[in-house]
Amino acid sequence: MEQEIEKKGYAHPEALVTTEWVAENLNDTENVRIVESDEDVLLYDIGHVPNAVKVDWVEDLNDPINRDYLDPEHFAQLMQEKGISPDTMVVFYGDKNNWWATYALWVFRLFGHDNVKVMDGGRIKWEAEGREMTQEVPSFPRTEYPVPERDDEKIRAFKDDVMAHLEKRGPLVDVRSPGEYSGELLHMPDYPQEGALRGGHIPGAANVPWARAVREDGTFKSAGELREIYEGEVGLSESDDVVAYCRIGERSSHTWFVLSYLLGYDNVRNYDGSWTEWGNAVRAPIER
Amino acid sequence: MDGVGQRRARPHREVSPALSRQQQIAVLVEHHQNPRYAGVLEVADVAMPGGSPECGGSVVIYLKAGEEGRIQRLSFTGQGDIISQAATSMILEQVMENGLTMNEVLALDYDAFVDRVGREAVGSRTRNATLGLSTLKSAVRKCQKDRLHADSAA
Repeated sequence: MEQEIEKKGYAHPEALVTTEWVAENLNDTENVRIVESDEDVLLYDIGHVPNAVKVDWVEDLNDPINRDYLDPEHFAQLMQEKGISPDTMVVFYGDKNNWWATYALWVFRLFGHDNVKVMDGGRIKWEAEGREMTQEVPSFPRTEYPVPERDDEKIRAFKDDVMAHLEKRGPLVDVRSPGEYSGELLHMPDYPQEGALRGGHIPGAANVPWARAVREDGTFKSAGELREIYEGEVGLSESDDVVAYCRIGERSSHTWFVLSYLLGYDNVRNYDGSWTEWGNAVRAPIER
Repeated sequence: MDGVGQRRARPHREVSPALSRQQQIAVLVEHHQNPRYAGVLEVADVAMPGGSPECGGSVVIYLKAGEEGRIQRLSFTGQGDIISQAATSMILEQVMENGLTMNEVLALDYDAFVDRVGREAVGSRTRNATLGLSTLKSAVRKCQKDRLHADSAA
């Protein structure tokens, strides 16, 4: 079963599990916690993988006041509530080709929770295969989870880091749609507070919309196919120090996952300030 | 969606016999599966887009004006999460079934509408819940403006 993933040639095939693996291990609740993370916040309520818990990026992972992620105390509290210990294997899945699953995974990694995996194909594949879904919300014994340290250096980039990256002409990947990249779409109609005052992209950034990394069935493309895109078309290489961004860092967490885990790049950072910060910042250079 | 989420204080208000969260979700899912007034309205005076197809949800509201500030027909197309699509269906149903005029639509209160959709189910996604209503108001404003221009040109 996991051969399906093995044969796709990834640098870290252990970062993915198949839907079949999840079906076979979903009752191993002592060692494995399945986490659903969606954009569509009601999907979990209308049916989810048995024994899966929900993590909502707005309610659970964002700081309610500051533009930042939750603090280490709240992360530990969240883990305790979800019955997750520091050594629990957390398997993420979700809607939209696992876009939000990889976002949650990236946040978990900020707190050093490294035993993380993604269910290849996400929710759409699980549903398409007609696998069991339930509305029952599981409850697990509260765990001990020491307050971790949050490492904002290794996989996260801030605006000043991107500015420095730009000066040394480091590779940047803009994973937004072509319209957003070209500056044609300044902000979404009726969502001006989520937009930017200026449109375009960070100078020198290559445009690779995030969803190019997945196949129609929601699974990730093979390493060969991914290399063709990120290395063949864009010219990245494994030793590069890469910064990925989108509008707030969620779509780019998907690309971060692809480059880091599937292609084995060691230095990839997600700029979560992304266009909603850059496109509003005074004197931040912009290319169209 | 694609925004930085923030928990907002909810103003205390009297709400009529509330549906449970599960009941609110059931209503939303039913509207999502059987959207009212769905489809393109070819004869529309205004086709107003709103939201984001990439993040959260997007809708296009089609509006055909009637006589004396009335709304003759409405419809919508869209894609996205359950809340945004179902709430759009709900607001169009509310407007058409009650025969609201354009000015009455502009006077609709966002908070009251979120109460109607179901605060427990909507949670922090109030913008998704009001996407349809805000786009409908934009369509009404555009329609009124166009009519004003047409009248002054005549």
